[in-house]
Amino acid sequence: PVERAEPTPGMQSLKSARFLELKEEAKYPDGFKSPNPALNQAAQRKGRAYDKDFLLQFQSVFKEKPSVDWDQKVKETLGPGDDS
Amino acid sequence: MAEVASNGPVPDSNGQIDLSTIPVSPEGAMTDATNGANGTKSADNDKIVTVFDDPSNFNVKHQLQHTWTLWFTKPPSGKQDWNELLKEVISFNSVEEFWGIYNNITPASELAQKSDYHLFKSGVRPEWEDPQNKHGGRWSYTFKGSKANDETWLNIMLAAIGEMLEDDNDNEVMGVVVNIRKAFWRVGLWTRTAGQPPKGRKDDADREDGRKRLERIGKRFKDTLNLPASEGVEFSGHADSAHSGSSRAKAKFTV
Repeated sequence: PVERAEPTPGMQSLKSARFLELKEEAKYPDGFKSPNPALNQAAQRKGRAYDKDFLLQFQSVFKEKPSVDWDQKVKETLGPGDDS
Repeated sequence: MAEVASNGPVPDSNGQIDLSTIPVSPEGAMTDATNGANGTKSADNDKIVTVFDDPSNFNVKHQLQHTWTLWFTKPPSGKQDWNELLKEVISFNSVEEFWGIYNNITPASELAQKSDYHLFKSGVRPEWEDPQNKHGGRWSYTFKGSKANDETWLNIMLAAIGEMLEDDNDNEVMGVVVNIRKAFWRVGLWTRTAGQPPKGRKDDADREDGRKRLERIGKRFKDTLNLPASEGVEFSGHADSAHSGSSRAKAKFTV
């Protein structure tokens, strides 16, 4: 019997965090840049646009699995078929 | 860390608390053990903590303009049809979630032949037959070799979720796809229209607008792929592809 895994603090943060609002500017720590402001100037924008350089900054920062049973799910969904 | 409220507001004889006696916490102060991460809407006084500040204890995330769904086509291992092979993996609507998924899923370079990843807007199945796709088409580019370049596919996904492929009111991008095949791999960008004018309008100006809109999107797709100018990225309508019985329909536009 395997003990049920607990969500990590990172998974829990993702779940409970609120969305940054459109009119809000986060102040990022030194060394991190904001999304290119030129992309988000139109007042009537329905949401945010993010440039590649901004998005790539998350790559090495957030590596939490989407859920505690993720590996099993990936295996079932992407893995080889039952008869192979 | 939490201070005990020893001198907090005291109910008066009617059990009512004089609101002016309730201390207002200074900006950024958080005195409850959940550190504000309990889903309550106390946002205004919360200090913004991004994943860059603290990856295991952040309180804001970055919303995407759309919710996206990742799909996977499994290579056939018998005689299943397409419907059994196409699997919905997960939906997400934040930058952070995207990376949690990307960092924990098989990279495109390690997928078996005959598999695909599809990243589509929520509510749209990555199939020609979906009502939102059937009048549309796709830009695509085919690379030689059966091992996908992970960076190329990542760049396409980032351009899609970051809303870099189209202008705010274009309303064309339905999803992006990577196909792994025996001797090639191919990336695609599916659009809602194939450049046809809006219903009931047949004038040339609209037709021209549609073509220009799609070509502008195709150009951005090509830029995302980092292709030399000499290479062409081709557009074909899904209906034409369906009629020709293969995905090799004659290109309608090229950029």
